[in-house]
Amino acid sequence: MEHLMDVFNIGLLQNTLRTATPVILAAMGGLLTEQAGIMNIGMDGMILMGAFVAVAFSFTLSSAGMGVLMAVLVGIVIGLFFALFVVKLKSDEFIIGMALNTFAAGLTVYLLRSIFGVKGTFSNSDIVALPTIHMDFLDNIPVLGPLLNDNSLFVYLTWLLVFLTWVFLYRTPYGFWLRAAGEHPESLETAGVSPQKMKFTASILCGIFCGFAGAHLSLGYLTMFTEGMSSSRGFIAFACVIFGMANPPKVFVAALLFGFLDALGLRLQSVGVPSDLTSTIPYIATILMLIYVVVSSDKRKKKRASKQIKISENALE
Amino acid sequence: MQDSIVKFENISMQFPGVLANDKVSFEIKKGEVFALVGENGAGKSTLMNILYGLNTPTDGNVYIKGEKIEKFKPIEAIKKGVGMVHQHFMLVPSFTVAQNIVMSKEPRKMKFFCDLKKAEREVKSLSEDYGLTVDPKATVGEISVGLQQRVEILKTLYRGADILILDEPTAVLTPQETNELFGVIRKIVKEKEMTIIIITHKLYEVMAISDRVGVMRQGRLVGVEETKNVNERTLASMMVGREVLFDEIEKTGQPGDVLIETNNLHVADNRGLMAVKGVSLSIRAGEILGIAAIEGNGQSELLEAITGMRSIVKGSFSIQGKEAMGKDPGQIRDMGLAHIPEDRIATGVAMPSTITENLIIGKERNREFAAKGIHLKNSSIVRYAQDLFEKFDLRGAGVETTVGSLSGGNMQKVVVAREFSLETPVLIIAQPTRGVDVGAIEFIHKQIIEKRNAGCAILLVSADLDEVFRLSDRIITMYEGKITGEFKSGEIDKSRISYYMTGARNESAGGGSDE
Amino acid sequence: MNKITESFLKNRSYLLSLVLSILVALIIGGILMAVTGYNPFAAYGAMIKGVFGSLRVFGNTLAKMLTLCLTGLAMAICAKAGLFNVGGEGQLYFGGLAATMTGVCLQGAPPIIAVPLAFVSAAVVGGFYAWIPAVLKVKLRVSEVITTIMLNSVAIYVCTYLVNSNGPLATSDKGVLGGSDAVPEEFRFLHLISTSNLSTALIYSAVIAFLCWYLMQKTSIGLEMKVTGENERFSFFSGLPKDKLMIWSMVASGVICGLVGMFEVYGYQNRFQGTISNEFYYDGMLVAMIMNYNPIGIIIMSFFFAAIDIGAGAMEFSTGVAGEISDIIFAIIIFLMAAQNGILQAITKRTTQRKAREQMRKEGN
Repeated sequence: MEHLMDVFNIGLLQNTLRTATPVILAAMGGLLTEQAGIMNIGMDGMILMGAFVAVAFSFTLSSAGMGVLMAVLVGIVIGLFFALFVVKLKSDEFIIGMALNTFAAGLTVYLLRSIFGVKGTFSNSDIVALPTIHMDFLDNIPVLGPLLNDNSLFVYLTWLLVFLTWVFLYRTPYGFWLRAAGEHPESLETAGVSPQKMKFTASILCGIFCGFAGAHLSLGYLTMFTEGMSSSRGFIAFACVIFGMANPPKVFVAALLFGFLDALGLRLQSVGVPSDLTSTIPYIATILMLIYVVVSSDKRKKKRASKQIKISENALE
Repeated sequence: MQDSIVKFENISMQFPGVLANDKVSFEIKKGEVFALVGENGAGKSTLMNILYGLNTPTDGNVYIKGEKIEKFKPIEAIKKGVGMVHQHFMLVPSFTVAQNIVMSKEPRKMKFFCDLKKAEREVKSLSEDYGLTVDPKATVGEISVGLQQRVEILKTLYRGADILILDEPTAVLTPQETNELFGVIRKIVKEKEMTIIIITHKLYEVMAISDRVGVMRQGRLVGVEETKNVNERTLASMMVGREVLFDEIEKTGQPGDVLIETNNLHVADNRGLMAVKGVSLSIRAGEILGIAAIEGNGQSELLEAITGMRSIVKGSFSIQGKEAMGKDPGQIRDMGLAHIPEDRIATGVAMPSTITENLIIGKERNREFAAKGIHLKNSSIVRYAQDLFEKFDLRGAGVETTVGSLSGGNMQKVVVAREFSLETPVLIIAQPTRGVDVGAIEFIHKQIIEKRNAGCAILLVSADLDEVFRLSDRIITMYEGKITGEFKSGEIDKSRISYYMTGARNESAGGGSDE
Repeated sequence: MNKITESFLKNRSYLLSLVLSILVALIIGGILMAVTGYNPFAAYGAMIKGVFGSLRVFGNTLAKMLTLCLTGLAMAICAKAGLFNVGGEGQLYFGGLAATMTGVCLQGAPPIIAVPLAFVSAAVVGGFYAWIPAVLKVKLRVSEVITTIMLNSVAIYVCTYLVNSNGPLATSDKGVLGGSDAVPEEFRFLHLISTSNLSTALIYSAVIAFLCWYLMQKTSIGLEMKVTGENERFSFFSGLPKDKLMIWSMVASGVICGLVGMFEVYGYQNRFQGTISNEFYYDGMLVAMIMNYNPIGIIIMSFFFAAIDIGAGAMEFSTGVAGEISDIIFAIIIFLMAAQNGILQAITKRTTQRKAREQMRKEGN
């Protein structure tokens, strides 16, 4: 019982918000590319680059804001680069995505070592972290107070971005065009809008979102850069996109679920479960989530078919 | 008389390996219905895509309303009042009718947001104005093909088009829907002073609707005539370049035993909706049963069920007297069935593979071609492929060419060659000549009749009513997953059969039930 | 048929693109070195020396080549059938661990029995770990790309836990931090070049590579796999056992990866450690992609990649340039090769249009 209390407490929910944030951010980017008809498995590399650039510039310019800004700029460049190959040169999305991941892993480590001269982890007191936000009025509210207060800037920004993404996709003409570019590009083209441009837009936005995700990872969640610190979050975000059928609120929930499981793992460590084992939880959960999506949609189809037979039989009688 | 509204001047279009348009020049007059006819691959669609800005011509000029076109982009064409309804509709299935119609010219509110309410109002008033009734809130993927075409026409009208290009508009329509469409065309030409360009290869439609007709052949313009000065026969010989003889192919022999039989089949489509609702039919040896139905009325799902590619919800079927329920395509093929699929690219071939590889699939484990069923014997495979290659007259390519680089006609011949060489007693044939040139059509039809005369039981599905009439011994009509009529060929004509294709029922119809 | 499938080697434009891509990648790598303050010429010089400098380093290069070649073939064999096994890393971990523990447990048994058993255990465990995502893909349509990536992380964490200090399989040997017990001396592979990593794994690898090539290029099953990978619906339509083909090709891929894990331990690492593989499978996967999953091409290209990889290590040692430059060079080659068709098409389209236009003008005048 005591153990249970150690695991399931307010800290678990706090950790959920914090660990889910980078996944939500990347997943919002991923759902934009998915809606535009691009399978983007290069997000992991995009996050990694964002994380590195954010730390590098936060350190050299002593400004977290500059770190985020540069991470976003690099995100734009990577998004452009990805779209150039996938959309313009019609290369295989899978190959380009995987190559982008390798490229990011190689480049970040190379630069880490040749610029900062460290191997593994770069951590320095000169790296300026993102501010946390404190709202006084929340102090007196139990549960919600400690949960919603003192989070890193991006935690709050993320909720706003989820809403904006939804508005963009379902309430603005540009969102319509982006979705049309994925679902039926020819119809968009014959209506006089270039689907290629919309795909480029989606890819660049995805780069920006992944830049945010990376910056949060290295300046908000932690204040350091570690080799391969994205640790497959890009892929988990991709799984969340599929799980949430590229719909912002659903993807958001999926990512929160992932955050919860990740946080649960961290909590379990505190009661003595080996960290290597708790670390597997989010990955296994992702697989189970994907299986669930498929099985439940199959069930729905079968139900519909059997219902129809009943209707036609009734009509016969 | 009238002014010229569109002028083509020496248009040439070079695609890799193909000269699709070769110095085409003519004018289209304001307020006329101009028909552009030609065989598949004659260059009609390419020329119209140039007018609509989807292709940039290699050489030559286009003038619209006296202005020379500099930039070939749809947006420029739209600005000049050109609208195009493509053969494959350019609609986003998950969007509503209104969203599709206003796409790229959405009414806005607060600059950045789309005002859907206003869009729906505008679409409603536009559709009432032109007498093209649609429900602005309906989802496009869920409305009928005829309605989708209306949406397409409204889409061009919303953009202020006064030159409307219709690319094979009747290919997916019933005769009734075609008549309705022609009514609309006449109305908008008369009342709204529109100019219509209609691409087609159905000559009776040219005679019915157009004022003037241009004939294309192999990328060249053969001639432009006043419709009243020509007839179908002269047009046909202009199209093909020689006198066309619509031969009857001789059918011989008597029907034998029943080789394939279905009983009260129910099949669901991809969304889980019932597409085939209680179909019972049987086909005898030496008989061709044709299914006449408008696309999307369950015929595709029926064929997929019979060939084992789609699971059956209820009912049963047998091949050569043996139960075939619940078997996979491999097991069903072993029971003596071969299949020409409706979509050769998606289903019928492996495009990156060579002709040889595509021809051998299905026989690749035969001892003749593989030692112990495993080690491939290259020389005998190539010899076999070469034989089929010559027999099926696959011109212009070697056996080592990849199938993906073949023309539609040759690709279809590869499919026909492979399936027919399996020598099965039952053949399931869907859309055998879709997108195939006239020469190949003739050839494929002969092959099918030969199979029939040799005692095969053949089930034929085709969107081309002429084809169904020409080949079938018996014809059944299907509507919304049910059989609505059964006829001996010769008992019924095209206009009467279309009545059954749209839901009317024949007393002698087998299977299904009334709602 | 083989004329076609192997014709790319004769295909001049493909080869030319490959050579150009490699050159461009090396140049970009050089510029990156120069920007970060190193002398690229010295670095590349050190790289070449690091590959051909001595018999020992050459042996290491060959050993690395075997790993890349086998992992590349593992990727190719399932990619041909239309499945992307990104999870070779996890299969390699579990396969390696299984073989190691088999060897450790059979201490004292005659090698003629123990070593084959180790082979079997590596193959079975590796194959099984690939079978899971394969079945999920084929029966439930769950994307194998995601599941295999997830399973990689799971395998690495679980293996690390097992052999880490205090883990259930950790060794009691002194001075070893995080590792299993060592495989008995008499079970290990013989070294072909002393002090290098090259062992008799060379022979086993050659056999596996030959079998892969034979299966893919010379048999009816290989043809069926290829057709299934190119158009799954066509395969289904033609009555081929597509589910079986896909699942078994993935299992074969896992078996090879499991064996690679064993070769790593039995060849030169001697005991299983959490660091058994430094993303070997990803490198092999990239080789396979560059060579369009052609077995002969993979064998040749894996030597080149191994040379850059081993050379980068030597370069780091002597000039201080971080060895990760090799990953960057690989990735650039892949970007360029993946875009090869697009770039070529853009060029040819422009030139044919221009030529056609000129031709027409001439005739017109």
